[in-house]
Amino acid sequence: MTMSPGIRKLALTAHVSASVGWLGAVAGFLALAIGGLTSQQSQTVGSAYLAMELLIWSVIVPLSLASLVTGLVSSLSTTWGLFRHYWVLAKLLLTILATVFLALHTQPVGRVASLATERTLTSADLRQVRIQLVADAGAALLVLLVNTTLGVYKPRGMTRYGWRRQHQQKGSQP
Amino acid sequence: MADLDRYPGVPRWVKVFGIFALVLVLLFVVLHLTGRGLGDHGLSRDHAPSGGRPASPEPGHR
Repeated sequence: MTMSPGIRKLALTAHVSASVGWLGAVAGFLALAIGGLTSQQSQTVGSAYLAMELLIWSVIVPLSLASLVTGLVSSLSTTWGLFRHYWVLAKLLLTILATVFLALHTQPVGRVASLATERTLTSADLRQVRIQLVADAGAALLVLLVNTTLGVYKPRGMTRYGWRRQHQQKGSQP
Repeated sequence: MADLDRYPGVPRWVKVFGIFALVLVLLFVVLHLTGRGLGDHGLSRDHAPSGGRPASPEPGHR
C-alpha cells in the first residue's frame, strides 16, 4: 500500500493518539475498579461501576478499535510491514489479544453496573467479579505498556518472511 | 559472505516474550476452565444478591 508522506504521518499521529488514549483510559478504568472494590462509601462504589460502564463503551472500545485499525494502516503503508519485524507482529498480537479480552469484559462490567442501578451494592455483591476486574485492568495496563515500549524501542529482529522479502528486494535492485 | 545470506534466527527477546505470553494465555484459559475467571459461570455463581445492608451508608444518609 503506497501513501503520501503526509497521509502516513496522519495515520501515525492517529495511531499514537488512539494507543496512548487507550492506555490512559485503562489506567482510569483500573482506578475506578480499585475504588469500586475498596471504597467504604456505597455511593462511591455504585458510581464507580456506572462510570466504568460508560468509560468502556464510550472511550475504551472505540480507542482499542481505532488503535488496531490505524496500526494496520501505519504498518502496511510503510516499509515496516505487518509481518516483517517481530516487534510489529508482537504489537499486532497484543492489540488483538487486548481487544478480544476487552470485548469479553464488557459483559461483567455491565452486570455490576446494572446491579448498582437496581440497588446499593454491598461489599459482598459480585465480589469475585469485582476482584477479577481489578486484576484484568492491571493486566491490560501492563499489556498496553509493553505495546508502547515495543513501539518506542522497536527491538531488532526480522521474521523469516521479512528476511526473504528484504533479500528479494536487494536482488531485484540493479 | 555466505553468512549474510542466511537467516539469523529468532532473536532472544522474541523467545522470552513468546514464553511469557504463552504462560499468560495458559493461565487465562485455566482460570476460565476452572470457573475462576470472568464469564457466565463466574458471574452466576456469585451474582446472588446478598440482600444485606450496604458496606457503609454514604455521609448524611439516614
